[in-house]
Amino acid sequence: MEIKTFTVADLQLALRSEDFWLSRTLPITRQRALSFCRNPRAEKDDPVLLVAYQDNRVIGYLGILPDKIYFNNADHKLGWLTGWWVDPSVAAKGVGVTLLYKALNTYRERIGVSGGSKEARKVLHASQKFIALNPPKGIDIRFRLNASKALLRKYPGMRAFRVFFKIADALLDEIVDVRSFFWERRHGFRRRLAFEYLSSIDEEAGRFIERHHQHDLTRKGKADLSWIMTSPWVVSAPQKDPASRRYFFSSISARFFYLGVKVFAPDNGMVGFLMLKVRDDRMSVVYAHFEDRHAPSVAAAALYHALTMDVSTLSLYDERLVKSAAGLRCPCWATRSVSRGFFLSKAFADAPLADCRLHGGDGDFAFY
Amino acid sequence: MAVKEKITQMLFRVLDELNQFRPREEHLKKDLETPLAGASGRLDSAGLINLIVLTEQKAAQELGRPILLTDDRTLSRINEVFLTLGSLADYIHLLLNEKRDG
Repeated sequence: MEIKTFTVADLQLALRSEDFWLSRTLPITRQRALSFCRNPRAEKDDPVLLVAYQDNRVIGYLGILPDKIYFNNADHKLGWLTGWWVDPSVAAKGVGVTLLYKALNTYRERIGVSGGSKEARKVLHASQKFIALNPPKGIDIRFRLNASKALLRKYPGMRAFRVFFKIADALLDEIVDVRSFFWERRHGFRRRLAFEYLSSIDEEAGRFIERHHQHDLTRKGKADLSWIMTSPWVVSAPQKDPASRRYFFSSISARFFYLGVKVFAPDNGMVGFLMLKVRDDRMSVVYAHFEDRHAPSVAAAALYHALTMDVSTLSLYDERLVKSAAGLRCPCWATRSVSRGFFLSKAFADAPLADCRLHGGDGDFAFY
Repeated sequence: MAVKEKITQMLFRVLDELNQFRPREEHLKKDLETPLAGASGRLDSAGLINLIVLTEQKAAQELGRPILLTDDRTLSRINEVFLTLGSLADYIHLLLNEKRDG
């Protein structure tokens, strides 16, 4: 087994080479490689991809997303692990372990992990090298029941009746739509709030974010959020292409985009900024900035957009938005508590991170 | 007791601790021929990491010298080093000798 380390500069070369993209298993997609190369927090010589080869065959890989975290009035570089895969046929040969320790060594034990599979979390726990951060507690608000999908998954024998299930779903959706109509009229969001939409962060939003991100762990600014919005890892496409079939992680989705929303209230000017991620029928607020007193308006803006854009689920990870959304009594079928796990290596064990705010898009969450 | 024997006994104690967290049918035998992470090894990634962490801790306590099993040099030959309990014992012996000579 040989481990090859790709820096940003190496990936730039790989993007221009043909050979790199010929392997049966791809360690990264072109889209994701381009995004890695454009990361404003990465230097040219930062390692961003570790690939394990055996007989010139890719048997494992691990991506690393260079980032900065902020505490004690200074920034501290780290790498978030992302896209950790090992060929199941060689799982007992220490490939995953080698990739993990190689990443730790390469980043002088300054590593972060966001989420991860159950298996990956087991490995991190066993290494005794990571501490868990207070996870942001959020909610999933379900606007569409999608009962036919769930029922047919559980009882495939009932496929013959799927037309009836779909009609029932449509009728149930109508109930939410009618209630939403009256809910919107009652609150008068369109009179009370105004919105401006962004495909990347403009000067006004950038200044607003900078005024509100001082307590954030990663303090993402104009350049960082614009990079995420314009360099996605997942592409909207009607079907998988050959390259996406050779890569283990998400690279294609029927609908995937980011939307920046500036929220304005009369007499108050800009009161909030939301960065929304829409993937298929789910919307997530990946970054949200506002003052506490404007939380109800910003939560209303998130709910209004989820209903208007006809998504089945809205995920909120900001506790102030969660609380305000509950108070707005928006029509929905169900809500479910969710949280996102974040881990940092023990090199940061003594850092005063308890009061740092994490966003739903921190780590690599914004990209999936 | 010879150093090699001390290393073997230490590794047996590591296996005792590892086996506490494994189902009885997956217990690792206290034998130098026991395969670890090679092709016929029975340790998954978490098991291998547990073995590494426990071995480093026990070596510091019982052999009186810390050893590092996660540096690039060891990682580059991980399948060789962790092929069997015996190959791991040999590697630790080599590390200790290098420290003494260095």
